[in-house]
Amino acid sequence: MAAIEFQGVSKVYPDGTRAVESLELSIAEDEFMVFVGPSGCGKTTALRMVAGLEEISDGAILIGGRVVNEVSSKDRDVAMVFQNYALYPHMTVAQNLAFGLKLRKVGKTEIRRRVQTAATTLGLEDYLERKPGALSGGQRQRVAMGRAIVREPRAFLMDEPLSNLDAQLRVQMRAEIQKLQRTLGVTTIYVTHDQTEAMTMGDRIAVMRDGTLQQVDTPERVYRWPANRFVAGFIGSPAMNMVTARLIRADGALLVSFGDYSLVIDDEVLAERPALARYANADVIVGIRPEDFEDAALAAEAPPERTLTTVCSLREALGSEVLVHFPVARVTDTLAPLGDASSIFVARIHPQTTAREGEPLSLVVDTRRLHFFEPATGRAIYG
Amino acid sequence: MKADEGRGALISPEEWRRPGVRWGVGGAQALLLIGLIVVGLGPLLWLAKSAITPTVDTISQPMALFPHGAAWRNLHVAWSDVNVGRYFWNTVVLAIGSWFVQVFVATTAGFALSVLRPTYARLLNALLLTTLFVPAIVLLVPLYIEIVRPPFIDHSFIDSYWAVWLPAGASAFNVVLVTRFFDNLPREIFEAARIDGAGPFRLFLYVVLPMSKPILGVVSVFAVLASWKDFLWPLLVLTNPDIQPLSVRLPTIQSQTELGVFLAALFIASLVPIIGFLIFQRSFLRGTGLGGAIKG
Repeated sequence: MAAIEFQGVSKVYPDGTRAVESLELSIAEDEFMVFVGPSGCGKTTALRMVAGLEEISDGAILIGGRVVNEVSSKDRDVAMVFQNYALYPHMTVAQNLAFGLKLRKVGKTEIRRRVQTAATTLGLEDYLERKPGALSGGQRQRVAMGRAIVREPRAFLMDEPLSNLDAQLRVQMRAEIQKLQRTLGVTTIYVTHDQTEAMTMGDRIAVMRDGTLQQVDTPERVYRWPANRFVAGFIGSPAMNMVTARLIRADGALLVSFGDYSLVIDDEVLAERPALARYANADVIVGIRPEDFEDAALAAEAPPERTLTTVCSLREALGSEVLVHFPVARVTDTLAPLGDASSIFVARIHPQTTAREGEPLSLVVDTRRLHFFEPATGRAIYG
Repeated sequence: MKADEGRGALISPEEWRRPGVRWGVGGAQALLLIGLIVVGLGPLLWLAKSAITPTVDTISQPMALFPHGAAWRNLHVAWSDVNVGRYFWNTVVLAIGSWFVQVFVATTAGFALSVLRPTYARLLNALLLTTLFVPAIVLLVPLYIEIVRPPFIDHSFIDSYWAVWLPAGASAFNVVLVTRFFDNLPREIFEAARIDGAGPFRLFLYVVLPMSKPILGVVSVFAVLASWKDFLWPLLVLTNPDIQPLSVRLPTIQSQTELGVFLAALFIASLVPIIGFLIFQRSFLRGTGLGGAIKG
């Protein structure tokens, strides 16, 4: 198992497209690192550079302390699982699994042992003599995983391996991949655009946008302490509500005011974000996660300084929870693209709510969980 | 009738139920089929019939079906006495050699241009395409000179099978055909093989070639048929009758033997292409054979 390091890695395509920009990242031995971001953010390109499938334009990639920029794919000792499986269609499952070992001149007995072990681990024993065409999507995905496992490589590289599976199978395979990675203890880079996968699977997640790394941290910390507006909006579903607001100092307390509403900023928040004091009487972007709302009628307490009274414009009952949409007037029209849609807020509240479309609704906000961002740069305001 | 039967057809199942449509269209289809059989299969069956009919009957009653019995000895005489057996063997050797050279050049060139993709691949592709616009007959003389005085080696290929085999490989059409096929193979599979440890040679041998059976079938049929039918080039470069193929020898046989034996020789000459087509026809009809390789 090996640590992987990106040292100022950039990728520029011949047409001038900058797919990855000065990526600095260290992935520890045995760590499960998830690259997450929207399409075109450079996450797959970064992974392919580790695999040796893309040339590195600038910087260096180290695997196990060795610079691999000039090392060919086959000599990097990494295994990759592709989004569309990329199985060899003319070979049986057993041959698919054994192919990499055969090329590396592993002994026949050892190949048989490893193939058998991988097949047992992945529940593929009954399909060893079948060709990929005769397998279901889930089984093919397992074969692709198996092909990586048998190699016993120093790192697994997974490029959206679950995106072609149906929702139920994806949840099942997600857990299996996690379990497998823990058992085998192999350094893994997992690329996905699905933030649920990122949150549930990774030891750490690296959020990327337009080729630039936005934040690297544990899923919990990225969720709780997003580095900027992009990360805050990308991680969490439904996305964080954001709107331009004004911070007002009144009676020694700091209030955040947007539209017709004012919320008192909790002392806990002020202690965590001392820099907020500097924004008194200035505009900020306030972010409230949908889960930090609750129907005032169902909340234990609903003090007026933490309550918004609005009109429910849309109600989406999901069984275990209800999503209510409601309009929030903007303070200014200076919002950057991310905030444009946030004049409609979404709250995730208890299923017993009596909220009805077109009727007034009071919502309590957990003001200890407010997020603040600089309007100009989008950076989160902390210390 | 199944619900989806007739989907995509020109005539819907409802229309098909009307007697006018059924008889009109059905009749037209039957007539067309009969016409195609007469035009396509007719000459072959006629040749087969004539090959085993005595010469006298073929001349006096060409339309009659074996009025005085079959003359199976025509085939025997053609094969042994007129040496069709030897010419047949020459043709087989020429066809196999041409086939091998064509498949070898087409697949390796296609692999280089499509999979390895050197920086100059696009230029090379364009040059290849331009050669397709040059009529083959224009190249006859320069090619002949090359065979008589090949560059770098002081040895004429005239009267050697290499004189037929080597030029056969220089088929831009085959290279373009195979390159386009390789272009459509999923690149992730090649990448998977590279990560699995395959270099270019093993990638070609163990992954690309086995996935290319359909196009190999197509190239093979073209190569064998072209070689089997070729008359002008072997006539020019193979002057020794002992090594000439059937296509070159048939006119001589015609002037030296009776009609029945000549027709038997023609029949023998046409057998291999027919059998070859029957064997390889699946390649024409089969899909790309990539079932399960990738999730589309």
